[in-house]
Amino acid sequence: MKIVVSVKLVPDTNAAKRIDPGTKRLVRTGLETVLNPFDEYAIEAALQLKEKLGGDTTVTIFTMAPESGKETVRKALAMGADDAVMLTDAGLEGSDVWATSYAMAQALEKTGFDLLIAGGLADDGNSGGVPGALTEYLGVPAITNVRKIEEAGDGKIKTQRETDSGYQVVSGPLPALITVTMAVGEPRYASLKGIMGAKKKTIATMSLPDLDLDRAVGTDGAKTEVLEISAPKVREKARVVEAADGATGAQAIFDFLRERKLV
Amino acid sequence: MQHVIVFVEHKAGQTRKVTYELATEARKIADALGGKAHAVVLGPGSSSLAEQLENYPLDVIHVTDDADVDKYLYDPAIDYLEAVAKSTGPALILLPNTMLGRDVAGRIAARLNAGLNSDVTAFQLEGGKAVSVGPKLQGSTVVASGFKNTEYGVATVRPNAFDAQAGGGSAHIANLEKPAGKAYAVVVENEVEEASGEMGLEEAPVVVSGGRGLGGPDPFTSLLKPLADALGGAVGASRAAADAGWVPYSLQIGQTGKVVSPQLYIAVGISGAIQHKVGMQTSGTIIAVNRDATVPIGEFADLLVVGDLFQIIPELTNMVQGAKAHA
Ligand SMILES: Cc1cc2nc3c(=O)[nH]c(=O)nc-3n(C[C@H](O)[C@H](O)[C@H](O)COP(=O)(O)OP(=O)(O)OC[C@H]3O[C@@H](n4cnc5c(N)ncnc54)[C@H](O)[C@@H]3O)c2cc1C
Ligand SMILES: Nc1ncnc2c1ncn2[C@@H]1O[C@H](COP(=O)(O)O)[C@@H](O)[C@H]1O
Repeated sequence: MKIVVSVKLVPDTNAAKRIDPGTKRLVRTGLETVLNPFDEYAIEAALQLKEKLGGDTTVTIFTMAPESGKETVRKALAMGADDAVMLTDAGLEGSDVWATSYAMAQALEKTGFDLLIAGGLADDGNSGGVPGALTEYLGVPAITNVRKIEEAGDGKIKTQRETDSGYQVVSGPLPALITVTMAVGEPRYASLKGIMGAKKKTIATMSLPDLDLDRAVGTDGAKTEVLEISAPKVREKARVVEAADGATGAQAIFDFLRERKLV
Repeated sequence: MQHVIVFVEHKAGQTRKVTYELATEARKIADALGGKAHAVVLGPGSSSLAEQLENYPLDVIHVTDDADVDKYLYDPAIDYLEAVAKSTGPALILLPNTMLGRDVAGRIAARLNAGLNSDVTAFQLEGGKAVSVGPKLQGSTVVASGFKNTEYGVATVRPNAFDAQAGGGSAHIANLEKPAGKAYAVVVENEVEEASGEMGLEEAPVVVSGGRGLGGPDPFTSLLKPLADALGGAVGASRAAADAGWVPYSLQIGQTGKVVSPQLYIAVGISGAIQHKVGMQTSGTIIAVNRDATVPIGEFADLLVVGDLFQIIPELTNMVQGAKAHA
């Protein structure tokens, strides 16, 4: 089975971020890029499935990202993926959810897969829209928020899908797309052997001329546009109350709630 | 884009508060765009829910009780929503920024070749256009984003960001016809309820969250739950607590958990790491209880009470219960 994991490269949460007032885009130079935290779970789910199925099952990492993201892609390979495909082109800059998904779908069609695994949500944009849009453009069945893959193979997949109050057992035919939740299991650390081995693994690249796009992507094709950026409201430091005992502490909170008419 | 369509999330007719927030906002946006405000309610329980929605200022409520909507994952729902969107013509589709809302948003956006603006906390309505405003890049920036090159727009909206106001309802209920010639393959075989899950954490007006400081699973039920109940809220958690297996991941708040924006957020035994902060920083009032006066949460909470949570929380619960009894 050919498993492809769709991984987004995002700026590190802890890094200070700056938006270029001219382009209204994130200044990426000097910013450390990491694998989107949710996507590490997607990789973990893929590797678990590969271990379970054995045989000729492979795990390919797919990302649409600038060339400079290559080193971050190696981290995914170091975790145990077999190879990677990067869709890279200056013409993709400024792509929104629509343009990203449209271009990615074409590239993923060429890459081919039996199971495509995505994270649920990217850390930079909070959209979570890409997997759904990919589902449409690829025309494959989709199961979202999978917490456990019960069975996969012989042209079908059966999963446990997380809901707010429990789970559902959901099944469908392969090839399919799934998104996973953190309940699939903690992403593994790369071993030293994995890190060394990753240096030799193939990272193939694709660019726009390799795709058969009939609509514009990048800034021109995007269906949303950033009009204005501003700083969020900064929260002040807390009023600090040292509580000698439980009653004093509780009273301080209760008075504060009263003051703000919250009780 | 002229009309507004609200996609109603519900389970057997039980909906979330955010539905009413969206219905209220839909009216304002539709008026600004010069169009009509629609809602779409799909699957078992929809007819009774539609009656409740009639109290809100909508023009048309599209309804079907079709059981296939629950039997097959999303596919029938997307077809129904697409059919409504095609029938209204150019529209802005509003969905809640929840697990389900995000899943549907990406699909309908692609289906209609529409732009998607996500996690919206405000709309700027000027010049006959709706501009979406929302936090991006882990809350470090606020972005105002419009639509272009498209007849349709899709926006996922953060629960608790808008007011819900009943009244002004004169909606007409329209029964939906089943889209013809469709076959569905992704089957929901059965549904298992695990008592542990909590519905509606994102829209609870009050969230009482616990972290590693709670030391185990029991204080979540013996300490936090009674306080949350007394305040009319829900219990949440930090990732440390979820990773330890004390609570299910569905209660986790933060970067890799849920984003909440309640009126009141009480963080108990939580240090306030940046990954936790991004999930709760837009809350109205933030109160922290921690035995360490130097924790990061002190940098952005409104009140930090330094002391032992095991002594403070039960006393506080008593006080709140007492105040309620006298109210
Ligand atoms: C990629 C990534 C994603 C992450 N996503 C999330 C996320 O979504 N949500 C999230 O929460 N975290 C997330 N984290 C983890 C985050 O960095 C912190 O490790 C985590 O939030 C810490 O949880 P905590 O505050 O409960 O624990 P701690 O930081 O250990 O804090 C416990 C606090 O309890 C206090 N305490 C202990 N006992 C008592 C007592 N008796 N009375 C009063 N106070 C007491 C201590 O002083 C301490 O401040 C993520 C991390 C990474 C790397
Ligand atoms: N540029 C990208 N390259 C590869 N995968 C992506 C990309 N953007 C989004 N994804 C996938 O879609 C998921 C949701 O991302 P988003 O819709 O941006 O929040 C991520 O967890 C990834 O699995």
